[in-house]
Formats: sequence, structure tokens, C-alpha cells
Amino acid sequence: MLVASSFIAATTPAWSASASNSVEFNRDIRTLFAKHCTACHGGVKAAGKISFLYRDKALAEGKSGERAIIPGDPEKSEVIRRVLSKDPDEIMPKPDHGPRLTDKEIATLQQWIKEGAKWSEHWSFVPPEEPAKPNLKNKSWAKTSADQFILARIEAEGLKPSPEATPAEWLRRVSLDVIGLPPTPEEYDSFLQDRRKNAATAKERVVDRLLASPQFGERWASVWLDLARYSDTFGYEKDPHRDIWPWRDWVIRAFNADLPFDEFTIKQLAGDLLPNPTAADLLATAFHRNTQNNTEGGTDDEEYRTVAVLDRVNTTWTAWNATTFGCVQCHSHPYDPFPHRDYYRFAAFFDNTEDCDQNDDYPRWIFPEDMSKRDEAARLQRESRRLREELNDEALVVTTKIKDWKPLVPKEAKASGGVLSIAANGRIDASGTLPISVKYTLTVPVVAGMTAIKIDILPESDNAKSAPERGQMFSKLSAALVVAGASNQPVKLKEVIADHLVGPRDPRNVIEGGGGLGSFPTMSGPRWGVVVLEKPLEAPVGATVELVFEHGIAANSGVQGCPLKHFALSFTTDASLSEFANSHARAEAWGEWRAVGFGLKKISGPSVPVMVERSRPATRETRVFIRGNRLTRDELVLPGIPDVVQPPKKSDPMNRLDMARWLVGNQNPLAARVLANRLWAEMFGHGIVETQEDFGTSGAKPTHPELLDHLALRLRGELKWSVKKFLRELALSATYAQSAKATPKLLEKDVANHIYARGPRSRLTAEMVRDQALAVSGLLSTKQFGPPVYPPQPDGVWSTVYSGEKWNTSTNENRFRRGVYTYSRRTAGYPQFLTFDAPTRDSCTARRLPSNTPLQALTVMNDPAFIEMAQALAERMEKGGRSPRERIEHGSRLLTLDKPPRAMLDSLTKLYDGALADYRADQEISAKLGATPEQAALVLVANTLLNLDSSLTR
Amino acid sequence: MNLFQQLQHDSLLHQTRRHFLRDCTTGLGALWLASMTGRAWGAEGVLKKDAARPLLPGAPQFPGKAKRVIYLHMAGSPSQLELFDYKPELAKMDGKDCPESFLKGKQFAFIQGVPKMLGAQFPFKQHGNSGQWISDRMPHFATVADDVCFIKSMYTDQFNHGPAQLLMHTGSQNPGWASTGAWATYGLGSENQNLPGFMVLTSGGKNPDAGKSVWGSGFLPSVYQGVQCRSQGDPVLFLSNPPGITRGLRRRTLDALNEINQKSAKQSGDPETLTRIAQYELAFRMQVDASDAFDIKQEPAGIHELYGTQPGKESFANNCLLARRLAERGVRYIQLFDWGWDSHGAGESEALSHGFKDKCKSVDRPLMALITDLKQRGLFEDTLIVWSGEFGRTSMRENRNGVEMKFVGRDHNPGAFTLWMAGGGVKGGFSYGETDDFGYQSVIDKVSVHDFHATMLHLMGFDHMKFTYPVSGVNMRLTNVTKPGSEVVKAVLA
Repeated sequence: MLVASSFIAATTPAWSASASNSVEFNRDIRTLFAKHCTACHGGVKAAGKISFLYRDKALAEGKSGERAIIPGDPEKSEVIRRVLSKDPDEIMPKPDHGPRLTDKEIATLQQWIKEGAKWSEHWSFVPPEEPAKPNLKNKSWAKTSADQFILARIEAEGLKPSPEATPAEWLRRVSLDVIGLPPTPEEYDSFLQDRRKNAATAKERVVDRLLASPQFGERWASVWLDLARYSDTFGYEKDPHRDIWPWRDWVIRAFNADLPFDEFTIKQLAGDLLPNPTAADLLATAFHRNTQNNTEGGTDDEEYRTVAVLDRVNTTWTAWNATTFGCVQCHSHPYDPFPHRDYYRFAAFFDNTEDCDQNDDYPRWIFPEDMSKRDEAARLQRESRRLREELNDEALVVTTKIKDWKPLVPKEAKASGGVLSIAANGRIDASGTLPISVKYTLTVPVVAGMTAIKIDILPESDNAKSAPERGQMFSKLSAALVVAGASNQPVKLKEVIADHLVGPRDPRNVIEGGGGLGSFPTMSGPRWGVVVLEKPLEAPVGATVELVFEHGIAANSGVQGCPLKHFALSFTTDASLSEFANSHARAEAWGEWRAVGFGLKKISGPSVPVMVERSRPATRETRVFIRGNRLTRDELVLPGIPDVVQPPKKSDPMNRLDMARWLVGNQNPLAARVLANRLWAEMFGHGIVETQEDFGTSGAKPTHPELLDHLALRLRGELKWSVKKFLRELALSATYAQSAKATPKLLEKDVANHIYARGPRSRLTAEMVRDQALAVSGLLSTKQFGPPVYPPQPDGVWSTVYSGEKWNTSTNENRFRRGVYTYSRRTAGYPQFLTFDAPTRDSCTARRLPSNTPLQALTVMNDPAFIEMAQALAERMEKGGRSPRERIEHGSRLLTLDKPPRAMLDSLTKLYDGALADYRADQEISAKLGATPEQAALVLVANTLLNLDSSLTR
Repeated sequence: MNLFQQLQHDSLLHQTRRHFLRDCTTGLGALWLASMTGRAWGAEGVLKKDAARPLLPGAPQFPGKAKRVIYLHMAGSPSQLELFDYKPELAKMDGKDCPESFLKGKQFAFIQGVPKMLGAQFPFKQHGNSGQWISDRMPHFATVADDVCFIKSMYTDQFNHGPAQLLMHTGSQNPGWASTGAWATYGLGSENQNLPGFMVLTSGGKNPDAGKSVWGSGFLPSVYQGVQCRSQGDPVLFLSNPPGITRGLRRRTLDALNEINQKSAKQSGDPETLTRIAQYELAFRMQVDASDAFDIKQEPAGIHELYGTQPGKESFANNCLLARRLAERGVRYIQLFDWGWDSHGAGESEALSHGFKDKCKSVDRPLMALITDLKQRGLFEDTLIVWSGEFGRTSMRENRNGVEMKFVGRDHNPGAFTLWMAGGGVKGGFSYGETDDFGYQSVIDKVSVHDFHATMLHLMGFDHMKFTYPVSGVNMRLTNVTKPGSEVVKAVLA
């Protein structure tokens, strides 16, 4: 029992150290409610109309008429009567729901009510406040302000800080933590030399060198890519390739340039909405295009668009705010004060982008590999879009002035498949089986002087709450005059005007074919368009006009046709549109747009999915989904931020940019704490809040709440969100400089090192395991950026259905690039990474849980990629000494810097000698590993070195 | 006690180092905390595990009849109407327009407009004493009809492969949830510490549509994820020593590793180092035991004849034989995926008249053999065998792109499908539930995917409502907290 009790002592939050005798709501009562009460009296269920999430609901009368809590009067408070009750029908929690409250818990509850039932928000929703500086016994140990808070706790626990780590231990730790690569022996030597001159500045020089290293961004990008669920594929069934690596490179560059985290945030969430965005700003928005896209035949585009939108909500809240907001999709939060409706208010920020689960990942923008061409490319793409909108808007001004649209009722309507029927009012309805490429041929009367035809496309349902229905869109329209006895004469069409422009297909192209007028892939209300004839119709007697509508557009990954199903035609003889379309000014305007298009054609490079906002008239209506089901839609909501996290006061509807600014503004109590905690966790092995993904009631409490607030305010305030400056302070702290040696006393008191009375010791991350082996073997390519690479991987890992994509193992230096550049496929991740706990990147991952398994041992021992690295390491070792022992010593110095202890050298030399004897006896075997038995034996030692516990930890 | 044992003992004392989910303030977490007994059931169904030995075998919540599971998933979803769900009324409708009422409010993957009805393409007969209806595509399997329990009234709410497979194996259509096999190994551990507790075998040339998430650990610790075994090369990735490293040499490296690591454990005091030493030793044992388990050449000729196996080839037959060998060795959950059952009729390989026939032929004998073989070894009673797709197929003929297709096939149908179970705790020669006269919708004794999961867990000794794992304050369970109301199908229990 000794172990259990000491564990509890070790993990009790710092709060208890500074506890006073009065009851503290967050520490004592909220946890009690969460443990015993809120499952039934919370956000999901409020049994008896009592909820212990909000003070007003907890103090109000319940269904029974009794008040659960009467401040100041525990005797009259129903909750006390119930928890004390001996009657199984009365007692709370009910006997089958959970155990009785302990006497201590009941006493605490009574005292809290007696003291006035004071309520406060959960700690993470309360804005951080600069804590008082702690009083310390040891005045000389602390080097940074963070050290003071750490030392205060160490002293309060009756402990002492550990001695300083050896230079080798510290240098290896800081190099792996800051750039993800081990130091070279040369770097170690120069550190030792510097140290002799000045121990303090020597460390500063190391840290500054690391922070300035181009490899810095690669290490920290890996952390961000997990949160961003970055992958080089779409996900789901076929899981095809996605060109989104330019965004990954943007992240690496952003970390290297120390882009302040507030800008880093705003650009990624809303770079497209910034005034005059640069190419880099637009590229940054690919952050939220890392959502999965389902290309499986027949999967509902709208369903998976919605999944992507909600994933953006959940990812934003997890990555920035460490809040389990995803719970609120189906119901109000069970533990935290987020009403159900707030989920959809927040979703509305993301609900209005152009992407809609199309197989081509529309919309994508080209970002030339030559960075100097990117801004011009972005300018042309933006300009093209702006001019096209302008062209349509100008035409709409003319179009909407025309009031005399008259019905154009077809005499006959034929379909190449299915059935068309014409109602008395002229409405045309299609039924039966309509082939995707169905062709409608309508015969309409000739109207002399007709200048334009309007096509009204009508939805199936007029209920605003019904879910968007299948789209209706035609791809080509042609018209011809039919005169008995003569061949058809084409009627030339001049231009096409749409009620608004949205989606991947341009209405103007329905004249040539290959465009689209209507709504695709879904439809949420009526749509219309106008086709302007080149000249007013001349009408021979007895002639008719034949209109041919062609289709061929299909939703749901190209298998569900979207032909017109309900539509009506009308015409006008008003000359204004015709004159407008034929005007010189109009021709010039089109010419200007075309010229931009010519420029665009010369641009080439990766085409990256980005965020593109739909135009104002195309704004989607966001509604609350009842119980989280997109098919049961309730009230309309506008974009908004939950009250508890202090939204900005703004009268206009907010957009993504407002939201992004709020997120990293001074009002949001969460983001700075979350980032400070994340950076701390990367350096110290675990967060001050261990549940990096959850700062809510269900998450862990901070072990050092004052320190967390101090760090958050410092990061956001004085350091102006500079990640590098923040990391510099952590790396140079006395806390970080301690030896990691865990003495029996420390293990007994604090097995998990939450008091930080010793230095951190953690397993290498998946990428570090690879990168270190590459570095020490001398194989590492420091080439940066570019398309993902294919290091050796066993055959057959990529055998995805309906996918011809092949893993073509890189043969040039790409074979030896850092792990961050390895191709990341969602349905078939790189085996070594998965084995070392890298996530699949299906969804936002805020924390990798380190495991320790036999499969990890098999990987580093036997994976051909690691054998290749062992062979290269052996070559380096061979050059590093003349005797086997010298060579082994050289190899182990490459991994651990210091001269290895004699016992270690003895063990490895014994291994070498034994292996050499075996290999000399069977040279056929040895030839498979090295050219000579000596080399083979050295490879075996190198293989062993890579597997040492001291190699796999930092 | 030698040094190594001493270190292991110390490691156990300090195993709290690796508590993944710390004591959440709600009190729901705490399952990775140390318990001196190794593992125990805590309050609210949360299992306390020994983090240093997470696969240690242990008792379920109540005695379960199934000690292990062999799950045979026919990826793509075979047609219930051509195999087990006999519908003479549908034959009468063959070639007629599908009634409007069948289409209203329904979403299809490929069918457009108004398709034609399609009768069964193969004749049915009753088999065994129990008189189970089975079509002529499964002559060998029909001989074990009295051992099998059909559920003919399965339904799902997913009509695309990826999401439907995820739902079938994790209880959610979205990636990120724990698979049934992960739950089973989490709950029961593994009887063989030298092999992974949850192993996955694939045939048909492809992985399942939903990718590796169908055997993922989701929110459970990653140690419970399925290990995909391969038919070519190493059965488990990186299992064999590379060329030039013999077993003797590997032993030498491990001896050196252990010597050095033990010293660094003493030096650093890090209990994790001790765990690592143990994991390397386990890997060394696994190299032999897993290779041995996968060597089907050891089987006598009679067994190869029974299954129709050919060593060295990737086939469903080989995987069935491997499943038996793994079951014998104490592997807890053996998951087979056989790809190629998506009989749309869009091409010859997807035609009911061609590809489907071939697939039936490739599984018919191995299915019979697996049941027969487990019975003759006394493993049948405590091994639960499940055979299923991820949904059913339509009673209508597919008309992709709105036109008549060259080959005959059926589209995806979430409304009705058939699965069967055999062995561990289920009734043999029994059929549960019914579809309508056309095999289109389940109507009598409907069984949802979550009901089925509740039933599977029950057979293994778990109350699905109480077998939970806390994630962000929610007690997650296989039967999906967001979809309440799942029930054990008691009628199928033996």
C-alpha cells in the first residue's frame, strides 16, 4: 500500500499545498458534482430539472418543488437531505448509480453551502492572472521565473532539486528537444570548450544555435501536423493522394521564422479573409483543408462535407483551447458550460466555404514550387475570381431590372431516359430513371423578338428546415429553329447569367458545353439563370424552337446524377440585356477576364486545397442539428462564440477572421495556457496539465496552476507569442538543467516527475527514432521541403482498394530525409511511425501516448531501413578507430557523446568478439551483413547501439 | 532472485510511471493506475490494468462462454439473397419495376430512379436436421448447417463500405473508435504473451475499404490494436532477423543489450527502462512463436485437404487454417477480411454470375473445414465464430448511371443483411429474425449492429453497458454512447 499512497501524494495538485481551510468551489465542489451528480444532473440530462453545471439551475426549484441548494442553510437544502438519506428511494446518488458520498464529502458540501454556496467557473475558463512571486528558501537556484514556481513546490514537498545534468546529458536532451536531432561529437566538443570559458553563456550559445537552425521548424512542425491531422492523402476508402505538402512547408517555415503564434493562428484559420492576403496567407488556410474527403462511389457529398465542417470545429477547440467541444455536437456539454446551440453557432464560422467533398478536392489553388512566383500566381487567381464575379454582378443589375418575364410553355418535352411531364402552368417535372447523361429536348413556341430565356430551377421541398437535397444542374444548352421541311438552324447564344456564382462549374460554359447552371452537388432553395440570345429571335411562320438540355454531372463521387427535375422557362423581349451583352464595354470586360486567364494558364505547380469563402448571396444557412443528426435540423443560427469564453462585443455578424482574432486575443482564457502547456510538455515530457487535449472539468488539473498562468501571460504578453523566445527560457531554466536520475527517494515521492525535482527523461518520438539513426549513421539528408518521400517500407503495406498508387521507394537522398517528409497515408501509415505511437492523422491528436512494446523492439532490430542505417553507422565506426574497441567507442560516442563506461565497452566488445567468431566460421552469413566478418560484426554492434535504452530516450 | 528478476520486480512496483489517463477530476479515469494485483475491475466498469503487462489474461465481468473470437468478414458484403435469405416472392417480381414505396426516402450508392426487381440467381434447399435454407453456392458449408446460428434481420445505417465496415467493427462510422478486437484484448488480455493478442489476416488482395481503422485501438491504448499479419514475407512486420543475423547472433545482441540496459536502469532509475528490457525479451520469444504459428506446412495432408489450403499462397482457406492455429495458441481475437464481395455487376468480377460465384467457391470449403476442425479439437465450444459483411444487397438490380448494365448485380442495402455465428455460446441450427417478403428490409426481430455487439460482448462475459473506457469525461463503450438502447439478442444464446 506504500506505493499507492505515495503515488497519491505525488500527484495531488499543487493547490492542496497552498490550501486554506475554507471550501473552494473548483477544487472541492465542482469535482464532487462531476464525480457523483452531473451524469444525471448535468448538461445532457437535468433530472428533476436540476443541473449542477450552472449556479442558477442548481439554486432553482427542482421538479419536486424543493430547492437543492439554499445558500447559507445546509439543513434546509434538499441536496444535503438526499445525500444523508438512508431510504433507498430517496438517497442520492441512487444506489444503482453510484456509491454513497463519503462523510468527508458530505461535510465539505455542508460547509460550502453554509459559506454561501459561492460559485466560480472552472479554472480554465477564468482568465489567467499573474500570480505573486513565491517565497523561496534557496535564493540562488532559480534561473528563470518559471524555476521559482517549480522550486517553491519542490521546497513545499520537502525535496531538493537534483544536481545539474552532465554536459553530455543536457546537450543531447536540448538538441533532441529543440531540433529533434542529436548533437554531433564536434558540437559537443565545442560546447565543452565554451563551457570552460563561461558555463552560462555556453548554454545560451547552444540554445541560440539550435533555435536558429533550419532543422528547428522540422521538429516543431511534427507537433503541429498531429494537431492539424496533416496527411498526404484524402482519407477514407480509396485514400487518394492530396497535394498539400506546400502547407506542411509553410508550417516549417513559419516555425523557423518564429512567426508569432497569434499571426500563425490567424493566417491558418482566416488568411483568405485578411485584407490583401499574400500567397502565404492563402496557403496557410490549407490547415482546415486537412479534413478527410470521401471519394468512395456513392458517398453523400453533403454528409461528408458536414463531417469536415464539424471536424474543423472540434479541431479548432482541441488544438487551440483544449476543450472537448465535440461533445456539444449532440447535446449540451455534460460537464462544461457549453449549450448545444453554441456548437452550431461556432460551426457557422466554417459552414460557408466552397469545398463540398468533391473528388478533385475543389477548391484548390496553385502554388508554384518557385516561391518567387507565388504572389503573382495568387494575385492572378484572386483577380480572375474577382473579375468573374464582377462580370456576373454587372449583368445581374441589368437582368433584375427586367420585369416582363412571360412563361414559355413547351409544346413537347422529351427525355432520352425517364419521363418529362408539362404542367398547365408550364412547369416541367422529370420522373422515372434519369440516366446521368440524360438529354431533354423541349419544343417551345417561337416568340418574335425574344431576347433571353430564363430558367427557374425548383427544389423538391420548400421547407427551410429540410436538409439540402440532391442538386439539379445542366451542363449544356443549345437552341435551334425548327422549320418544317428545312434543316434546323442553330440559334446562337451570347451569354449566361446566374443568380449567383458558386461551386466548381461556370454557368457561362453551358453554351459550349462542360459548364453548369443550377445547383450542385446539393440544393437548398430555388435557383435561376438567364440565357441571352445573340440577337432578338426572328420568327418564320410555323417555326418552333428546340431547346436541348444536356447533363452528365453527378454528385456523390460521380455516381448520383443531378439532372434538372423541376423547372420552368420564361422569356423576355426586353432589348436591354441583348444590348448590354453585345456592348463594347461588355466585350472589353470579358476580354480583361480572359487576359487574366491566359496569365493563369502559364502558372504551374502543386494545386493545394485551401479555404475559399462562398459569396454573400450563396451563404449557407446553418441550423442546429437535433441530437447532432444533420438530417434533423432545427433553428437557424448565426456565427458566434460561447459566452463563457468571453466573445468580442460586435454588432455585425462575425466571420472566421473575427473568430481567429478572438482565439488569440486577450479575452480568450484558454489559448495561451494551452500553447504554453504544449511547449512545456514537449520539453518536459508531460504537461503542467497532463491532459493536453482537455482543460475542461473532465481533464486533469494543472500540477502548477500559478506557473501555468504565469507562463501563459508571459507567452502572450512580454514574449508577444514568440515560440522561440519561450522555448529559450525553458531550455535555459534550472529545472530543465537537472539530472534525470531518479533516486529511490524521488521515485517513492514522485514517480511520474510532476514535481520536477529531477530533469525530464522521455522516449524519443517516432520521427526522432528515425532521424537520430539517420544522423548518427551519417546518412541523413538535410534537404528541406518539397513533395513527400518514400523511405524503405515493406511491400504490401500499401494495398488499398481501388487505388493504383504505389510506394516507389526513393533511391536518391530522398531515401534519407527526416521523418517529417515521409509520405503520410491515412489508411496505411508508415509502419515504424505507427509502432512508435504516431497517430494515423484521421483526426486532431493533441498528445501521443507513449507505449513500450515488443513490436518496437522488432522494428529497430530488424526493419531493413534500420539495418541500412546500422551498416552506415558501422562504416563510420570503422573510420573512427583502429582497434575494434576504439571503433565501438567511437560509435557509442556518436550516440551518447561521452566516452562510454568501461562495462558498456566490455559488453559491446564481447558481442563483437563473439559475433566475429561466428562470422568467421560462416562467411556466407557474414557476407549478407558486411563485406568482411569484421565489418559484419561491427554492423551487429551498430544495430545494438541503435537499440540501447539510452539511445531510444532523451 | 537474480538481478533481472529484481529489476522486473522493481519495475512492477513503479509501474505507475505509465499512467496514461491520470486521475481525472471526475474520478472516471484512473484505469492505468497501478494495482498491486495486476488487474482489477473498478467502479463503473473501468478496468484497472497493469500498465507494464497490459496483455495479462484476466477474467471478464461474468463467466463468458466464448474465450476467443474468429471473425470472418466478407468485405464488400455478399448478397444475402443469393446465399441464406430465401425469398420465393421476390422471384415472382423479377424484372418488374421496383414499387415506389421501396424508393421513397431511401438513399442508394449507385441505383438511380426506378430500378427493376431481381429474383435470387441461385436455387435454395433446406439442410440438416434444422432445415436451414442455404443456396447451392455453399454445398460444403451446408453440411454444417446444424452448427450455425443465422441472424437474418440485421440492419445498419451506413450504405457505403468504409463507414459501414467501421460501424461493424468499432460501433461508429467515423474513424477513431476502438475496434471489437481491441475491446476484447483490453478486457480479457491474451492467453499467449509471446504472440499479439489481436491478429488480423487478409485475403482477396486488398485491405478492407475502411483501412486499418477497422482493427485500430481508437481511444484505447495503442497496445490493443490489431496486428496485421501478412501472407508474403514476415507474418508480422520485421519479425525475422535480417539476412546475416542468425538467431544465435540475435541472442548475443540481446545479451549485450540487457547488460547495458540493466546498468543504465540502475543509473537512471527510470522504471521504463526495465519495461523495455522485458519487451526486447518478449520480441525475441515472439520471433519463434509467431513464425511457428504461421508455418502451415507443419499440418498433415488430411488437414490441407479439408481446408483446401496451399502453403505459401494468400487465400481465405489458408487464413482459416491460420485462424485455427492462432486460436489453439491462445490468441484472443482473430480477424479475417476477405476482399471482393461487392457484387454490383459493373464488371465480370463483380457479377453475381461470375465473380460472386468464384468468391463463394473460395470460402465454401474453408468455412466448413474451420467449424469441423475446431470441433474435432475441442475448441468449438469456447470459440465464437462470426461471419458477416458490412451491409446487405438490394432486392433490385443495380442500374448504374441510370442504364441497364451488362452484368447482373445488386447495390448496397443497409436495410437487411444476414450474418451467422457458430460455437462459443450460441445456438446451433437456429435462425433468428426475418426480412420482408423481398429480403429488402428487416422486419421481424430486427437486430442492429449495436445489438449484435452487445451480444458478442455478452458471449465473452461483458455487460456492454458496464464495459467502458473514459475518454474526455465520457464513458465510451463499444455499443456507442450516442446511440442508446442496444440489447443483447437473448434468443440466440445457447
